[in-house]
Amino acid sequence: MKYIFSLLMVLAVSANSFAQGIEMADALRSDGKIYVVVAVLSLVLAGILFYVIRTDRRISRLEKEMGDK
Amino acid sequence: MKLSWWKLLCIALLFYTVIMGFLGPVPRLAILNESIRNLYFHVPMWFGMVLILGSSVFHSIGYLRTPLMSNDDKAVTAAHTGILFGGLGLVTGMAWARVTWGDWWVNDPKLNGAAIGMLIYCAYLVLRNSLEDEGQRARISAIYNIFAFATLVPLLFILPRLTDSLHPGNGGNPGFNQYDLDSDLRLVFYPAVIGWALLGLWLTQLNARLRRLERIAEEKNEVVASR
Amino acid sequence: MHLLQEIAVLIRKEIVLEWRQRYALNGMLLYIVSTVLICYFGFGQNSAALNSPTWNTLFWIILLFTAVNAVAKSFGQERAARLLYYYTLASPQGIILSKIVYNSLLLLLLAVVGYGFYSVILGNPVEDNLLFLVNVGLGAVGFSSTLTMVSGIATKAGNNSVLMAVLSFPVIIPMLILLIRISKNAMDGLDRSISYDEMITLLAINAIVLAVSYILFPYLWKS
Repeated sequence: MKYIFSLLMVLAVSANSFAQGIEMADALRSDGKIYVVVAVLSLVLAGILFYVIRTDRRISRLEKEMGDK
Repeated sequence: MKLSWWKLLCIALLFYTVIMGFLGPVPRLAILNESIRNLYFHVPMWFGMVLILGSSVFHSIGYLRTPLMSNDDKAVTAAHTGILFGGLGLVTGMAWARVTWGDWWVNDPKLNGAAIGMLIYCAYLVLRNSLEDEGQRARISAIYNIFAFATLVPLLFILPRLTDSLHPGNGGNPGFNQYDLDSDLRLVFYPAVIGWALLGLWLTQLNARLRRLERIAEEKNEVVASR
Repeated sequence: MHLLQEIAVLIRKEIVLEWRQRYALNGMLLYIVSTVLICYFGFGQNSAALNSPTWNTLFWIILLFTAVNAVAKSFGQERAARLLYYYTLASPQGIILSKIVYNSLLLLLLAVVGYGFYSVILGNPVEDNLLFLVNVGLGAVGFSSTLTMVSGIATKAGNNSVLMAVLSFPVIIPMLILLIRISKNAMDGLDRSISYDEMITLLAINAIVLAVSYILFPYLWKS
C-alpha cells in the first residue's frame, strides 16, 4: 500500500519538476509526514462513516419493528 | 443487513478522495500553491448543494402531483441537507478566499448566489414553521420551494456568466483557468464530487426515513389515545 | 380567448375596487413620498453630495419596499366567503394573471410618481432618461410578477408582513441586481447596446417567474 503511494509521489514530483519555481509543500512530502495527515483524515472519515452506517442500521431495525406490528 | 451499492460506492469514493486528494499530484500554480487541493473538498459542497436542492424540488413537484407525506418528508430533509452543504461550502469558501484573495467576503457572483440560496431555503423553513396544518404546510412549502428554485437557477447559472468572477471559468483570474484542463485534478475531482453528493443523499435518506418513523409512531399514539 | 376576456373582467374589477377605497392607493403614494423625504432629511444638507451608486441603490430599495407593501395586500382584501365565491366563478390562471397585470399597473404608477418625486427632492443624475424609465417599467413588471405569487403564498400562511418580506427578498434579489446594473448604465449614459444582455436576462427571468406562477398558482388556489 505504502509502496504504491510512494511510487505515485515519485511520479508526481518528477512530473512537476519543471515548475519548481513555485513553492509547494515538498518538504512535507519528502519527510513522509504527509502520510500522517492522510492517516488522521482517513481515521476521522472512517469514524464518521461508521457512525452514519450505525444510524442507518438502527433506522432499518426500527422500520422492521414498525412494519411488523 | 447489507448496505446498498451506492452507499458502498460513496464510502469508497470518499476514502479515495481523502487519500488521493493529499497524495496525488497537483499542478503547481502561483497564489494557490497547495491550497488547490481544496478543490476536492470545497467545490463538491457546492455541487452537492445544487444536486440536493434539486432533489428537494423534485420531491416537491412529486408532492404536488401525488400528495403523499413521504414526498414532503423527502423534500424537507433534502432542504436541510442542502442548507448544511451550502453552509459548509460558504464557510470553507470564505476561509479559502481569505488566503488566496485576501478577504473573507469578495463580491463574487458565485459566492453571492450561494448566500442567496441559503436565504431562500432558510425562508422555506420559516414558512414551514408558520403553517400549522400538515397538508397545507406540505403543499404551500412545496409551491414556494419550486417557485424559489426557479428564480435561483438563473442566479446560479446565468448571472455569473455576465460578470467577472474570481472563480474559474469566468475570466479575470488567469491562474485559475488552467486547472480546468488538468487531468490530474480531474482524476480526483469527479470522484470527489460524486462521493460527497452521495454522502449528502445518504444523510437525506436517513433523515427522511426517521421522519417517516416519527410520523408513524405519532399516528399509533393517537390511535392508542383515542381508544 | 375565453381566458383573455376573463382576465380583462378581473382587472376591471380590481381597478374598480381600488378606486372605491382610494385610501389604499393614497396610502401607498404617501408611503413613497414620506420615505423619500426621510432619505432627504437623513442626508440633510449633503444630499447634493450623494454619489451615483448610493442614489441608485437608495432609489431601488425605496421602490422594493413600496412594492412589497403594495402587493402584500393583494390577496388580503377579499374575505374568505368572497374568495370562495371567486373560486366558483373564475379560473385560477385568470386570477393570477389578472392580479399580476393589475399589480404591474399599480407599481408602474407608484414607480413613476416615486421617480419624479425622488429626482425633484434628491436631484437627478440620470443621463439616459428613456433607458432608465424603460428599466423602471421592467422593474415594475418583474416585481409584480414575483411579489404577487409570494403574497399569495404568504396569505395562505396567515399573511403577516414579516413572512412576506422574508419570502420575497431572496427571490427578488437576482432581479434587483440586474435592475440596479441597468439603471447604473443609464445613469452613466453608456451606449444602450451595453445593457441589452442584461435586459434580455431580465426579461428571461420575468418569463420564468410568470410561467412558474401560471403553473403553480392553481395548486395554491385549491387549498
